[in-house]
Amino acid sequence: MRAALALFAKDLRILRRSPLVALVLVGYPLVVSLLVAAALQSGERTPALAVVNLDAPGRTVQVGERRLSVDDYLARLDEEVDLRRLDADEAGRALDDGRVAAVLTIPEGFISDLQSGVRQPLLRLVTSARSPLEGEAISRRLQAAVFRFNQGLATGYVRQVLRLVDFISNGGSIGIFGRQGEVVGLRNSRVLIAETQDELRRSGRADLAARLDPLLVFIDETQANLDLARPAATAIASPIRLEVAEGAEGREPLSAFGVAGALLVSLALVGGLLGAAGIASEREEDTLTRLRRGLVALPLLVVEKIVVAALACTVIGGVLLAAVAVLTDLAVGRWALWPPALALAGLAFAAVGVLIGAAARDTRTALLATLMISLPLIFVGLVPDDAAAAVASLVPFGPAFRIFRDLLAEPRLDAALAGDMVALALMAALATTAAAVLLRRRGA
Amino acid sequence: MRRYRRGGIVRRAGGTLALDDVGLVLAAGEAVALLGPNGAGKTTLLRLLAGVDRPDAGEVRWTLAPAGAPAGGEDGGTRSRVGWVPQRPAVYGRLTVRENLRLFAGLEGCADAAGEAERLLARADLASWADRPAAELSTGTLQRLNLAVALAGGPAALLLDEPSATLSPDQRIRLWEWLGSLRAEEGLALVFSTQSVDEAARHADRVLVIARGRRAFEGRLEDLARARGGDAGPEAAERAFLALVEGSA
Repeated sequence: MRAALALFAKDLRILRRSPLVALVLVGYPLVVSLLVAAALQSGERTPALAVVNLDAPGRTVQVGERRLSVDDYLARLDEEVDLRRLDADEAGRALDDGRVAAVLTIPEGFISDLQSGVRQPLLRLVTSARSPLEGEAISRRLQAAVFRFNQGLATGYVRQVLRLVDFISNGGSIGIFGRQGEVVGLRNSRVLIAETQDELRRSGRADLAARLDPLLVFIDETQANLDLARPAATAIASPIRLEVAEGAEGREPLSAFGVAGALLVSLALVGGLLGAAGIASEREEDTLTRLRRGLVALPLLVVEKIVVAALACTVIGGVLLAAVAVLTDLAVGRWALWPPALALAGLAFAAVGVLIGAAARDTRTALLATLMISLPLIFVGLVPDDAAAAVASLVPFGPAFRIFRDLLAEPRLDAALAGDMVALALMAALATTAAAVLLRRRGA
Repeated sequence: MRRYRRGGIVRRAGGTLALDDVGLVLAAGEAVALLGPNGAGKTTLLRLLAGVDRPDAGEVRWTLAPAGAPAGGEDGGTRSRVGWVPQRPAVYGRLTVRENLRLFAGLEGCADAAGEAERLLARADLASWADRPAAELSTGTLQRLNLAVALAGGPAALLLDEPSATLSPDQRIRLWEWLGSLRAEEGLALVFSTQSVDEAARHADRVLVIARGRRAFEGRLEDLARARGGDAGPEAAERAFLALVEGSA
């Protein structure tokens, strides 16, 4: 083990001193991540939202002095999502076909409910399971839009209520059906009643004055309660509620597919090439002749090369994911599941690379063979076809791609994900064993 | 005085017999030349002796014993007592001279790998190149590093595969002077392969002639020449060697 650790440190040192290799190892995933980010920012990634307006079009709601329109807020939303105004049937078909990622329904009577304040108006959003990431993005944006709408409504409501409170307390002019009139208000009413009581008492009709006392009590209590109305009105929060539902299951989201594909290509090539080059360079430099003399057990040497390449894969995969997380608004799933996923994929790809490197005479041959073997298998792993998937499942490319895709689309550790992880571990162990046997038989 | 010995071993390469029942007895401080034409099995034998390859039959067994004593005494194993000098320098080009020595000293099991590396730097006169990458060394200096690496861990015998094949005449002279001092001062035994009868005559106490994977002759070159009816001179030895090799072909 001490020898393997010494060789591990040596390999890391050599990697650090190989600018071209470092450039490839760092630059390649960076380029891939930029391409992925660019792809995700393209038109295909602008989520499409179908809007079904079942209420009377163009209606507005008067709240206080402000006249609010649903269309105003939808127009704002149009800057962030691709809004498509469709009828209910057409929207349903568009959701099924994957042309839109979600359907927002404005129900009949929405504006009336909003105006009356008796019933909480409801917007309904149905997102597509075919495009969960886009659906999630739309859901977040709609929630933000509804929040902004609610804020506008709430501000109007509060102002209206406070004006009414002020009017009841202090009185003032009021216009009804075109006729102007004066409202006394609670404070003035109190003054009038108090003055009336004084006059009654002075005129010796104290009993009659006492009968007005309950009115004063009522005015005082009402005034006290109205004083509390201001903070209560300010606390009004969400007049509209948004209900989000998920539609039927369908195909995978394109964005998750793209990022998973980028990860697969990146890790398969880095792990494979580094693993193959690591063991082949020992033969090319003739140092394998020394190591084979018992300086290090050959299985340990194989494991050491695999670990170096897998470590590089894990780091590069992490950088790629971080780039996706920073440069795009994609959620990359549960971070805790990524290190084991990347490490397992890296181990499996590196083991395949070391196996190829153990069979090759020199580094160039090893690299060329790794590319020639890896590229078709990567392609097979990406093709959404049952036969291709079956072939890809026999090598690490299939399980690795499924793990990446699942972690991006539905980040939870279920039986399928665990099964693919176990498959990767077994493939890594098998390739490691084969590489060690081959290295022993093949000679230095 | 010590003696190193191994028994008869067999090695096949791709179904062809590469080495058949070749044995060797080696005394401490002794230099033995493996002499033979291309493809005779010299490198195969050295790699088996070094432990790089495994024999298909027989076993490589190094025995450390006082001179004159029967074989089978104290068993020294192969790793710590035998240094391996492959024909092409087997070092890491991107590591410096010092780092190569330190790494291989550690792999050889030296407790103080850094100290051993410094000792070897001085011993191989490599101190001025210590911090240069091995890939930047000249052929002669690289071969010295190759040899210094083989000395890590203090072996009692060195196995050298055509050590002077790629060297210029002056580098060759320096190499043999150094090897001579190692023999004289440290009692280091040498087994080296060569195609040059002249080199074997100059630097070996005796020769093991291998032809077609078999032992064709073992002894002193003068005896080979005399056995073939010549005198003890190098030309007669070369003629005798060629006759022996062609005769076994």
